[in-house]
Amino acid sequence: MPLNFPPPESRLGRRQFVVGASLIGGFYAATPRAAWAQADYGSTHRLANPSLEQQWRVLSRLGYGPTPALLQSVQAADPLAWALSQIDVAHAASQGAAPIPAELQSMAAPLPELFDGVKREREARTSARALGKDTPPASAEEKEKAPRPYDFSAPAEAGYFTREQRQKAAAWQLTACSQPGLENPLLARLTEFWFNHFNVYAGKGAVGAYVGHYALQVARAHALGRFEDMLLASARHPAMLIYLDQAQSVAAGTPGPLGSTRGLNENYARELMELHTLGVNGGYTQADVRALARILTGWTLDPKHPSGFRFAPRNHDAGPKTLLGQPFGNRLSGGGEAEGLDALRLLARHPSTAQRICQRLAEFFVADQPPPALVQRLRQTFLASGGDMRLVMRSLVESPEFWNPDHRLFKTPLDFACSALAATQSTDDQRTWATTAGFLATAGQPLHGWQTPDGYQTDAATWLVPEALTRRVDFALRLGQGAPALDYLRPFLSAETQATLAQAPAGLRAGLLLASPDFMSK
Amino acid sequence: MPLDTHTPALSRRSLLGQLLLAGSAWAAPAAWAQNDRTARADGRLVLVFLRGAYDGLSALVPYADRDYYRLRPNIAIPAPDGSAQTALALDDTFALHPALSPLLPLWQQGVLAVLPAAGSPDPTRSHFDAQHHWEVGSPGKSSATQGWMNQLASLTAPRAGSGPDKPGALGVGEANPFILAGPAPVQRVPRGQAATQQGAMGNERTRDSVLKLYGGDDSLSQAFRAGAQSRAQTAQTLRENDMGTMGMMAGDRQEMMAANNGAPPARGLLLDAQYLGTLMRQNRRLRLGFLSAGGWDTHANQGAATGALANNLASLAQALVQLRQDFAQPNDVVVVCSEFGRTSAENGTRGTDHGHGNTLWLMGNKVQGGRWHGQWTGLAPGNLHEGRDLPVHHDFRGVLAQVLKASQGLDLAELEALFPGLAWDRALDGMMRTT
Repeated sequence: MPLNFPPPESRLGRRQFVVGASLIGGFYAATPRAAWAQADYGSTHRLANPSLEQQWRVLSRLGYGPTPALLQSVQAADPLAWALSQIDVAHAASQGAAPIPAELQSMAAPLPELFDGVKREREARTSARALGKDTPPASAEEKEKAPRPYDFSAPAEAGYFTREQRQKAAAWQLTACSQPGLENPLLARLTEFWFNHFNVYAGKGAVGAYVGHYALQVARAHALGRFEDMLLASARHPAMLIYLDQAQSVAAGTPGPLGSTRGLNENYARELMELHTLGVNGGYTQADVRALARILTGWTLDPKHPSGFRFAPRNHDAGPKTLLGQPFGNRLSGGGEAEGLDALRLLARHPSTAQRICQRLAEFFVADQPPPALVQRLRQTFLASGGDMRLVMRSLVESPEFWNPDHRLFKTPLDFACSALAATQSTDDQRTWATTAGFLATAGQPLHGWQTPDGYQTDAATWLVPEALTRRVDFALRLGQGAPALDYLRPFLSAETQATLAQAPAGLRAGLLLASPDFMSK
Repeated sequence: MPLDTHTPALSRRSLLGQLLLAGSAWAAPAAWAQNDRTARADGRLVLVFLRGAYDGLSALVPYADRDYYRLRPNIAIPAPDGSAQTALALDDTFALHPALSPLLPLWQQGVLAVLPAAGSPDPTRSHFDAQHHWEVGSPGKSSATQGWMNQLASLTAPRAGSGPDKPGALGVGEANPFILAGPAPVQRVPRGQAATQQGAMGNERTRDSVLKLYGGDDSLSQAFRAGAQSRAQTAQTLRENDMGTMGMMAGDRQEMMAANNGAPPARGLLLDAQYLGTLMRQNRRLRLGFLSAGGWDTHANQGAATGALANNLASLAQALVQLRQDFAQPNDVVVVCSEFGRTSAENGTRGTDHGHGNTLWLMGNKVQGGRWHGQWTGLAPGNLHEGRDLPVHHDFRGVLAQVLKASQGLDLAELEALFPGLAWDRALDGMMRTT
């Protein structure tokens, strides 16, 4: 299709550009949601060489794309064997502490220290207000504008503790996804997946202070462990206890301050079944939501305990309940905290949960509409292994569906940013973190910034948006400034893209490569 | 960019006359077929979706209902007594949350109306399912892949002089809301300063190289070129209208966009509304607008006359006042809705859990404003849905059908295509003005 833009030497003003652009109006895009992800989009920008296609696929899906070292590693082995070995490497890494750079270390501080930081932040604000001083801005929006974004060279002022913790968590995620020499790429991928599955929003209350700890101790630590262990870890973590209000939910009629009474909050119980486990059609009712909320009363925060969690027997509803047809709260079930543990186990082992988790994994790693046969196989592995995610991931990687080149995936903004950072090896400075976080916020996928517990969508129908594509180009060109030529990625580009790059000014080539259609899929 | 000088073939007066003559034409769909299709109402529709289920019982306070204060001992909005910390009386039944006081003049001018108990008939209390039902225009399970506003865009865009290739709908804020998804072209604009920036494509040399990368006729390349065109136009329009210096986000460094990361989205709604108004004023082909705001899922400590919810309501009021400035032509209508309502009783943490029916607001000259519409049966225990929530007395599709008939001139067949299973809600026949 011929381009209608004038040649670059003609000096056109902005107004004329718009007129020129309107000539291509005949191609205004239609975006049928389901269709984009399928044949329409998948028919192009596919690598003809099967071996290169497999390398691109395995590196981009079980990580965030090729780097010279990763390419060497995958080319030295059979791609399947390499992928399976990564599961073991990632599992081993998940059992140890994350290799967090010193300047970001405090995001992983013990929970009592984090609680203390939040407390001191509140006190600093209160006393500043009492003194009539310039109070630290209260709203999250103003807080972000305060000085030194992503500058961790000096300790944070007490009044900005939550903001700094939150930015460190974001900086670590960008580091982890783009420095394969530091964090295993598959582990970074799975940490992203599980954080998103058990999503918390860093902008709610003090959640931001704990969000980095949550990503490490819930998503990363259990990424290839047993699902029910991860479910329990998320249920007890301060970030989740605060985010979905569980910390405040108590037996109806529990005495509160000044003669008031407190009671139940359904928020966590509902999302625990709807999103974390069974799924919305997984076979529960409103009565089950109430029952589960009552079972979990007493699960709350403990600022002094290393786990951040305690069970408060006085706030627990000890009456009898029925959850999914099972009796709770009678003599047989043990009562108290054990009720909640039993309920979480019941949910974790439910076939509807296996179905939901495996569907989401297949969407994340294989295709926007994964073949039901694949999901069925993963589900069987999940149920037979008691939710052993290492075995489920092996099933996934061993499936022919994972390797089928017809199963296309379009990069999300986060995929795109991380893979561009990885390709250019430019991530660990204040400016890059801030620029990348800004790009992701504009693109609609801010780090730890999805407000609702469903997490981000990952399909092309959500992210293949015409204007948003042009913003990917801005980000790519900015990263490409001063970057090496990225010649090692050339073999993965179409002939057309290679020809265009060859004609482009040398200084633009790295950026244009990252901006190319070839770089948009994984 | 030339302004679209769209002139209806018939004057508005004669169109209205026709509608009057048609009377209760909905009882006899055949009458609709006789309408001159060129004589459509030329209104614009803006839908403001409050994601997370906003607490309508705090916005529109049933202060005369003793059950309201019984059910909400800590979070009820105090009955009007003339002071700032109490609700503002609208009539003998309802009062307005004090944070919504900027809307009172609109109510008094008769351009703001409310339905106290409307929503989706599907009983789900899942945000995500319920929002999906609203966005595809079909309560319950469906395999729909198109949002109803996208479908509406393909119905109405041609009348506004748009070809099939020009967007007739605009969304500001969200990346890709389902309600706008589908084959009709839609202009999508991000929140904040980013919308005013040409970006790297503003540089000719760069633009030339980038467009070569996306020179193919595959769908990704087509989407890219369309996006480049749309973005350039958006940025130009907003800059020419000084939007670049407006709003609450100072500075144009990209990292400032990180601010949105934690911004209470209801506050961003005002800027979104400003962008939407400017873009739809400058491009009259844009007939449909979509805005949304999150932060309404108030399970704990929602406050009462002041507090978290009050702050969100104040932001909403500001945005609606802004929209009123830009959408005050005879057939323009603004609709404010949410996926479901919240429990009529407060929960144990001074918040509210997921409920069912909710208040739905309509604003525009075409709206029979200054009053509430539809059925209201109060909060007595026997009148609540499942013993706990406001019932849905009026299906949202029935409400929207009334609006679309009056503002867009849609006929019954079109409305039924848009909302499968739609039943015309005759109880709302006086809700939109016919003169």
